[in-house]
Amino acid sequence: MAPRSDHAAGSAAAAAAAAAAQAHGSEFDSIDPLFHVLRVLPFSFLRPPRTRLKLPSNLALPSPMTVFSLILLTYFAVVSGLVYDVIVEPPGIGSAQDPATGAVRPVVFLPGRVNGQYIIEGLSSGFMFVLGGVGIILLDLAADRNRPRSVRVSFGGAGAVAVVIAYAMAMLFIRIKIPGYLWPDPLPDLSASRVSILDMFPITWHYTGVCNVPIRGDNSFITE
Amino acid sequence: MATAALEFLPAPLRSFRLKTKQQELLLRVSTLALIYVLAFIVRLFSVLRYESMIHEFDPYFNYRTTLFLTENGYSEFWNWFDFESWYPLGRVVGGTLFPGLMVTAALLYRFLRALSFAVHIREVCVLTAPFFAANTTLVAYAFGREIWDSGAGIVAAALIAICPGYISRSVAGSYDNEGVAIFALLLTFYLFVRAVNTGSLAWSLASAFGYFYMVSAWGGYVFIINLLPLYVLVLLVTGRYSMRLYVAYNCMYVLGMLLAMQIRFVGFQHVQSGEHMAAMGVFFLLQVFFFLDWVKYMLNDARLFKSFLRITLTCAITVGTLALVVGTASGYISPWTGRFYSLLDPTYAKDHIPIIASVSEHQPTAWSSFMFDFQILLFLFPAGLYFCFKRLSDATIFIVMYGLTSMYFAGVMVRLILVAAPAVCLISAIAASATIKNLTTLIRTKSKSPQASSGKTTGSKAAAKGAVDQSLPFQHNAAIALLLGAFYLLSRYAIHCTWVTSEAYSSPSIVLAARGHNGGRVIFDDYREAYYWLRQNTPPDAKIMSWWDYGYQITAMGNRTVIVDNNTWNNTHIATVGRAMSSYEDEAYEIMQSLDVNYVLVVFGGVTGYSSDDINKFLWMVRIGGGVFPVIKEPDYLVNGEYRVDKGAAPKMLNCLMYKLCYYRFGELTTEYGKPPGYDRVRGVEIGNKDIKLEYLEEAFTTSNWIVRIYKVKPPKNRS
Repeated sequence: MAPRSDHAAGSAAAAAAAAAAQAHGSEFDSIDPLFHVLRVLPFSFLRPPRTRLKLPSNLALPSPMTVFSLILLTYFAVVSGLVYDVIVEPPGIGSAQDPATGAVRPVVFLPGRVNGQYIIEGLSSGFMFVLGGVGIILLDLAADRNRPRSVRVSFGGAGAVAVVIAYAMAMLFIRIKIPGYLWPDPLPDLSASRVSILDMFPITWHYTGVCNVPIRGDNSFITE
Repeated sequence: MATAALEFLPAPLRSFRLKTKQQELLLRVSTLALIYVLAFIVRLFSVLRYESMIHEFDPYFNYRTTLFLTENGYSEFWNWFDFESWYPLGRVVGGTLFPGLMVTAALLYRFLRALSFAVHIREVCVLTAPFFAANTTLVAYAFGREIWDSGAGIVAAALIAICPGYISRSVAGSYDNEGVAIFALLLTFYLFVRAVNTGSLAWSLASAFGYFYMVSAWGGYVFIINLLPLYVLVLLVTGRYSMRLYVAYNCMYVLGMLLAMQIRFVGFQHVQSGEHMAAMGVFFLLQVFFFLDWVKYMLNDARLFKSFLRITLTCAITVGTLALVVGTASGYISPWTGRFYSLLDPTYAKDHIPIIASVSEHQPTAWSSFMFDFQILLFLFPAGLYFCFKRLSDATIFIVMYGLTSMYFAGVMVRLILVAAPAVCLISAIAASATIKNLTTLIRTKSKSPQASSGKTTGSKAAAKGAVDQSLPFQHNAAIALLLGAFYLLSRYAIHCTWVTSEAYSSPSIVLAARGHNGGRVIFDDYREAYYWLRQNTPPDAKIMSWWDYGYQITAMGNRTVIVDNNTWNNTHIATVGRAMSSYEDEAYEIMQSLDVNYVLVVFGGVTGYSSDDINKFLWMVRIGGGVFPVIKEPDYLVNGEYRVDKGAAPKMLNCLMYKLCYYRFGELTTEYGKPPGYDRVRGVEIGNKDIKLEYLEEAFTTSNWIVRIYKVKPPKNRS
């Protein structure tokens, strides 16, 4: 449907163009019989309207680096778990009561689950990831031979420091979040609402932990 | 230096001295071969620890259908009506599944049999996913080479071979659609980018067949059919329209659409469903572009062409919008289905579709899931985007778009980290390869300089060329240190991936393991014990009622008819089962009689501390049942909004069928030293109702660790 009407509109416009061209004296013969029919039948008395549609002339595509900086911001938002924050609405920071003194301590990292976070821990981890990425970008800028030497040195130094800090902090965060990280122990049940570590039990059942991480396909209970 | 060393070899061996090009080829081929083997081996943890068995829930259905296919042939499989599930409705299997995975496994099985390897179909099924993961690394190499250069390709292959985001769904035993689908996805994308780069009809045809394989394998093909039009649109907007793009997209879209219609489950969705309309819209837009280009070439007059352009664009946009509006209003074009709409609007599923919202892998992603599945790739990803933006071409624009869209969707749903994994690996490979290239260039320029001293360059002017030498102080040492740092990071990535695979993603979920008090591993095989009991001790036409999670496993291993299973296509039927589980025993008995139920199966973790049991899932049964039958109200089961099973629990909770079946005779059991009998180890409380009497059911079987409990439904009394 669409191409045919396009074709009709196109030939109508071509006919108008041909009429205008002939008025200007340029040669515009065509072997297309339909063209000649259309030139006579509707378009000897119909004139296409002068549409005043115009895109503003200063509308230009943004430079690649502008787009890249916008993308970096979006990446920061996604990787900090912004969608998780919007849907699950966790608190900005958790709290735990100290059993001895009764004072309320803030808890930064949500314990017990891999797929859960508080807002602030998400934002700080996302910042670390972006910092690492920016560090590697700075290293590439330092390798550019056309820049002055002092700029290259500072870029290189800043880039290396950024990568080191970002990696160290990210490792620290993940170690706090998942206590058994990189230990050769099976992880506790991380996707359920409770950490089900069993105690030692001498009577009949001799086990101390259920190592089952049903990350996928399993209808685990979700706490609200 | 290498050639100097070779001078000392005896004469016969000197003939083996390779030229640099051959050395490079040998290095590349051997690296790729090692990566191929690595990708296969790293997924074998659970086969070595337990045995070669199918994991999880969904793969059991796939295994059962593959078994049927190999035994009865393709025609029977295509027309199969399964009466053993969804009693009494049955299920049209041929028209409601994606056959790619089963057909692939059956073909592999036939091929191996033809070579007279007498393998069992289960072994083929278990190892299909690692085999295709290894093939994916080769495609990733080819793709990386297409986008950047062969160095980036090799790094991409190495990264994707061990990336935990991909391993999680392609481990040995995980016989699921995604194992094959990610290979098909990357192959389609690679072939399409190659077609756009070369403009060749042959590559476009190949990409159409790749798309067909993807459509046959997984419902996620919708991602491809929406990403490619978006990519074409971006190319048009940035002024990169070319004949190559025209040929590639047209051939791929038309042929791919026709081929996709061969899959019964997909049917006519490519022309009828709202999710596929973007591709059609861009198809017509591309025709308009080509037409305008041709008219411009014919006219040779800028002013006339401008007016013609305006008129054509107005007409085209008007007609397109009109067609879309008419199609949607008349109902011919169906709106976006809930599953895909919840990706665009993540809050939709929570409010409207509890079944989708209840699955743990559909939750949005927290930062730690990203870190778990990607680790240093999260640092390399933005750097790789930067490199792609530095060298913009058709191919790099594609990979940037693939990376960004897939990362957004991965943020919306944890399960989709799998789709983002190849893009993240490719883009990170570009960053890693470019950075290492920069560093090695910095190291090597030092050795070319004539005044080569111990480590310092003078840093001001190079005498040889007379140009200003901007090289850095301590350049050589610093570059070596940074290079070592880069290798350290990559090695940490490898350690992380191996640990995550070994500890988190290699659990079969049907066999549970725990650590004994002397440190040894204790295995709970209760699920299979119960299913085999069903298989051997119940009449062949017995009907089993359980929650939908276990349906596939019961039909595959127990070989009995079930009422509901994981396909979850009929919400009312599931709600009926949910209502039965949450009602009092006499009301539940009426429902069970109407469904011809003979046995009821529940999963109970109170003795072992296994927390994914039916009591923890019970509120979802109430919600889903209450969604269809308003007689079930969730507040009836809660006390002050709290879900409890101890003495203070709601009376409806203490007397509903699920409670009775789970805790029958549990009150006599001491589960933990120092606690009263009937102490539930998952909820951490002593249960409220210990004296449970069952009137209409009787206990048939309880497994050795009380995880699975089976009850027989008594026939109605002869005298009322």
